[in-house]
Amino acid sequence: MHEAKLCLALLRVAEAHRVRAGARRVTSLRLEVGAFSGVSPDALARAFPICAAGTAADGATLRLDAAPGRELRLADMEVI
Amino acid sequence: MCGTCGCGESASHGHGHAHESEARRIAVEESLLADNDRDAARLAASLRARGIDAIGLVGGPGAGKTTLLEATLGRLCEPGADAVVEGDCAGDLDARRIEAAGARVAQIETGSLCHLDAHLVGHAIETLDLEGVRRLWIENVGNLVCPAAFACGEARRVVLISVAEGDDKPEKYPAILAGADLLLITKSDLLPHVDFDVAGCTDRARRVAPGLPVLVLSARTGEGLGEWLAWMRETAPPARVG
Ligand SMILES: Nc1nc2c(ncn2[C@@H]2O[C@H](COP(=O)(O)OP(=O)(O)OP(=O)(O)O)[C@@H](O)[C@H]2O)c(=O)[nH]1
Ligand SMILES: [Mg+2]
Ligand SMILES: [Zn+2]
Repeated sequence: MHEAKLCLALLRVAEAHRVRAGARRVTSLRLEVGAFSGVSPDALARAFPICAAGTAADGATLRLDAAPGRELRLADMEVI
Repeated sequence: MCGTCGCGESASHGHGHAHESEARRIAVEESLLADNDRDAARLAASLRARGIDAIGLVGGPGAGKTTLLEATLGRLCEPGADAVVEGDCAGDLDARRIEAAGARVAQIETGSLCHLDAHLVGHAIETLDLEGVRRLWIENVGNLVCPAAFACGEARRVVLISVAEGDDKPEKYPAILAGADLLLITKSDLLPHVDFDVAGCTDRARRVAPGLPVLVLSARTGEGLGEWLAWMRETAPPARVG
């Protein structure tokens, strides 16, 4: 399935916000996953650490919150 | 020592990087599907501007998408008016079938990718001569899950579920129905051989998508094709003059 592709999109968005914030590392990410987003939270959670390895989000915790509709949105994140 | 980074110094010193305790929360509120949504909206607008009606077909592998297209092209019988984008993981079998049915076709081989997206479709139609084309059909990769999240520039999306797949599919794959403009229950000629409950399937689909139009048809016998063509004409955007 396409969870790796979505992880890369997630990392791209997070990276832009990290740079804008002048931060060094991303430590946590909170994603809202819509029931109709066509995404498996389990598969996403498994793919994330692999995709994040070696990036500024390496080791970051990924929290997945259920949301309605097609939503697949990076709600907020923590950086240091 | 610093408990977070293990740098061996006290937490109060300045050593060029911050500690977890200094973590800042940033509100982002950004969709991960935004890129595709933007590409899809742009593609849909450009097709509309060229007077082309774009119809997306999605459904599980073997639901009858290509066969429906063949039957539809045969009935429409308007040479040059239809073009098709075929999405499959591998091969051009469906493209050959469409070509034989007399329409222009572009095949997208997605490899391991489980769905089409607007970017792929946009590039595929660059290879097509769209002169005189009034309808663009976009047959997605056979998959009831992944295409749900990726609009492909279609103005309307048709979901196919064949009676051989079972009447529980709308409940198991709600996302795909949430984005549908029409549900086609296909291969109705097989109804006597399977225990598919048309009313039950319709109810389940409408629990996800209230008011969803549902048609039952067989591309094999032609049953229901008239209603399908009528739906298509009625919901088509007004033809442009000039
Ligand atoms: N009995 C019957 N068989 C059908 C009908 N429509 C399609 N089929 C058969 O179902 C099989 C799959 O049909 P396709 O049209 O290739 O299905 P598809 O959805 O395009 O398949 P993929 O592109 O591989 O996902 C073929 O063997 C068709 O002949 C129908 O109305 N009745
Ligand atoms: Mg096909
Ligand atoms: Zn997928």
